[in-house]
Amino acid sequence: MTDPGWLPGHLPAHRPRAAPLSAICAVAVLVAVCAAAQPARADTQNFDLSARIYSKHLYQNDANQGLLMLGNPFWPDDVAGHNGVGSELELSIRGRVSPQVETGARIASRFGERWHDWWESGNSLYDGKLNTSGDSAGLNRAAYLKLRGTYIQVAPEAAGIDWVRVGASDLAMFNPWTIGKVRYIDRDNGRGYFAAGRFGADDAWQWHAAAIALPKLWVGPWWSTGVGDPALANAFWSRDWAYAGSLRWRVGEATTVRLVGDATQDLEVDVADPDAVGSKNATCKDALGNPIAGCAPDHAVDLYTRYASANATVDFDSQPLDWLRVQGLVGVSWQQIDPKLTANAVQRNQGLSPIAYRDGGDVATTLRVGAQDPWEVGLSLQGEYFNVGADWNSIFGARRESDVLLTEGLVGGGGQLPTLNLANEFLDFDEDWVETCIGWHGGTALATYEHGDARLHLEVTHIEYNTNRQDRDVAQVYPDFLHGDGFTDIALYDYANVTDRGRDPRSAFRKNQYRRTDIAVLRGRHLIDVGRGIELEWKAKAIHDVDYRRLVGPGATKDDYDGTIVQLRGHVAVPVADGVKLGAFTQGEQWDEQNRRGTLELGYGDDTTWKWTAGVKATVMYAGIKANWHLEHIAKAQDREREPDQAWSVWRSKLTVEAAW
Amino acid sequence: MAQKLATTCPQPATTCRQPATTRLRLPAAALTCSVALSLVTAATAGAAEPPIVLQDPDGDDNGPGTYKYPTDPVYLPRSFDLRKVEVTDRGDDVEFKVTIGANIEDPWDSKTWDGNGFSLQFVQVYLDFDHVNGKGFTDPLPGLGSVKFAADEAWDKVVVLSPQGRTRLSSEIRAKAAKFKDAIVVPKVTRAAGKTLTALVKKADLKVGDSGGAPMARWGFQAVVQSNEGYPDKADLLTRRVNENAGQHRFGGGDDGECDPHVLDILAGKAKGDKTEVAEQHRTLAWKCDTKVARLPMVYPAAP
Repeated sequence: MTDPGWLPGHLPAHRPRAAPLSAICAVAVLVAVCAAAQPARADTQNFDLSARIYSKHLYQNDANQGLLMLGNPFWPDDVAGHNGVGSELELSIRGRVSPQVETGARIASRFGERWHDWWESGNSLYDGKLNTSGDSAGLNRAAYLKLRGTYIQVAPEAAGIDWVRVGASDLAMFNPWTIGKVRYIDRDNGRGYFAAGRFGADDAWQWHAAAIALPKLWVGPWWSTGVGDPALANAFWSRDWAYAGSLRWRVGEATTVRLVGDATQDLEVDVADPDAVGSKNATCKDALGNPIAGCAPDHAVDLYTRYASANATVDFDSQPLDWLRVQGLVGVSWQQIDPKLTANAVQRNQGLSPIAYRDGGDVATTLRVGAQDPWEVGLSLQGEYFNVGADWNSIFGARRESDVLLTEGLVGGGGQLPTLNLANEFLDFDEDWVETCIGWHGGTALATYEHGDARLHLEVTHIEYNTNRQDRDVAQVYPDFLHGDGFTDIALYDYANVTDRGRDPRSAFRKNQYRRTDIAVLRGRHLIDVGRGIELEWKAKAIHDVDYRRLVGPGATKDDYDGTIVQLRGHVAVPVADGVKLGAFTQGEQWDEQNRRGTLELGYGDDTTWKWTAGVKATVMYAGIKANWHLEHIAKAQDREREPDQAWSVWRSKLTVEAAW
Repeated sequence: MAQKLATTCPQPATTCRQPATTRLRLPAAALTCSVALSLVTAATAGAAEPPIVLQDPDGDDNGPGTYKYPTDPVYLPRSFDLRKVEVTDRGDDVEFKVTIGANIEDPWDSKTWDGNGFSLQFVQVYLDFDHVNGKGFTDPLPGLGSVKFAADEAWDKVVVLSPQGRTRLSSEIRAKAAKFKDAIVVPKVTRAAGKTLTALVKKADLKVGDSGGAPMARWGFQAVVQSNEGYPDKADLLTRRVNENAGQHRFGGGDDGECDPHVLDILAGKAKGDKTEVAEQHRTLAWKCDTKVARLPMVYPAAP
């Protein structure tokens, strides 16, 4: 039913428990937009139309068909797979309606149609079974054009307000600890009401405020705001919102202080309310036909909060000397679950859950000090202390393509994020992974030496874990993500862990853990001055990861994990012509892991893994087109004590060709 | 590590076990060779000479005085505010250091597009070796809008400090700036640290006939601060446009047509960082459709 509660002077007798702040924001923003906008005019000078065609060509020597190395493990999609070719088109439109108003939209084809589909119409007949008719594969395989990223932005002529936006945003105005910039593939799917402005002398204060529609997928228990939760028969998700604000204060020339905060609220209907769809009291009579006291329809529905969260950070960035930079952050994180409206995914979903199933929260602190070439010899130093509480969780924080810590971490490349909601899916084998830093407590020291066209980079990191605990409740409260153990193989990853791919990068918790990790990385980069210049990069990395697991009781001395991981990588690239670069790379790895995986009951085994990867890369940019090709072979052997040995010989290739105009 | 763990194990020794000795089978030789190669390469780089230093006042990152930053939050205040240019003889190379008013960030993760560790800034350092009327170029690189150098300050070489990798740069230059190709110097190395962009250029790439090579105070210098645009207009060399009104990724305060200079900050006056250089910049970049083209002045440090 329609809730008229937001209309002035029309408050329902049964007032909703959760005030519809989002509706108030919407009205306020629309009033501001309408008040500031001038009459619209068509003006081709103020109309930008840009386009891009992108195609991807995936190959692997297996029998897996699709266009994406890793898809969605929860909702099996028809896009993921290792062999396929597909294209997409996107059109971006920017309009200048008036001096104060900008509009934008993106129209992009849905990625998933393979070249081999030929004439698929979008129909999904024949019970979803693929056949040759052209009417079987469904809309995803017909490359339909979808409207995305629509927004209207107005710059009202009002002091202190730069702009107000209604519609899409990439949410980059906050930070990874609160509301993170949305990952690339979802970049303009986030929509809401946004405003920003500046005030004070020399615009020293800058602010952002937003009310953002929560995605029905991922910001909440069961990666949803109710849809699909076994505890709910009729999820109510269209009034779930996040609210966020930031205030940045430039303190003189050298220092900035920023406060960022967000709150999310996932609402569900009170099924005892006779006006609710699916109400158990629709007639306001009990099983014997007697009236239920206090039950009376009023055409308004009570709402309860299924899940709420709030994160806030205060950070500073100061440069007291030309060469000295100090950055710090302190944050708090909190969540509350209504167990009547939220089934326990830890218990019922094999430990896969983006939240711990409990109310509460935690704090986090980071402090980074950087000395930029203080002796003017090319040597720069950085140090970072980090301490992220075990019960911290940034449920709406950045899921990938951001990094909050200095260290390269265990998985390397993508970095660390303080959330259980990481997104290491919808990606290909050449993309970076991220890992959770929930519970991490330690420090990183980093030295960079630059001289001429050479750069050396040394990192040393020590991590202890606030998640260390004995007999942690991973059956009911803390997710352990399929109980995966051992070093993670991101190159040959499978979500179901049928191939012993190691620990899930989201897995912050273990039943019995007493873990410490040391990481050392040495990287070099040089340009050899021959011809157009030969680019040479190399990296050596060692990880020593120790987890005593159970410390007392039966089996305590037989389950200790001791892993030593060594990786060596080299890469050479040669520009051979304007816009053409060829490269080759190789990487060798050895993982020596005592008690890599197992259970106290079945025992653990000492396993050794060898991996050798070699490949070539090519980039061609010519007259506005860009092509990238990556071909590699991975040879992997696992010598396992308790289980059969395993071997891989994987050839795979990815070619992308794109043009934008 | 194992020893440390053992000593800090909170339980009696009988129930705690040290991890077994680790086994490293991969040879360390490759690592040793790599480190040695790095050190040798680093040690062979040239010694420094006193740099030529050009300064610019703070707070003039507004072109002719009216330009505004795009509205997207990645464009942090002072991100295009030129503060200092240092040009140093490094033996076989010349080092260009450009300092701006904000720490240089990489919000678009340049490593994923083979970039140089930063995203937003794009600085073009124009050099006039001879100060001779009619020798060199008076048009800047494409994408700077309506702006010219004077004929007696025509430039001979331009060093581009771009976040784009050399492959993209060379492709764009070939497609959009072919007539300047031999005059555009793509650095061997471009990197960002703190508030400073550093580019290392082969001295041989700065030679034009008998001119150029080792930096000299009698050269003319101009550093133009622009913003890197990965999806530029079809004629623009990786530059971001200035429109009448600021948009999410467009500067504002200019013109939607072709009248205005697409330039955020430049060296002006004698490049001493004097506050009077703010007005000088605003004056020289002033524009008016059909009647006045903005001018990019050269700064000659040795000039009296």
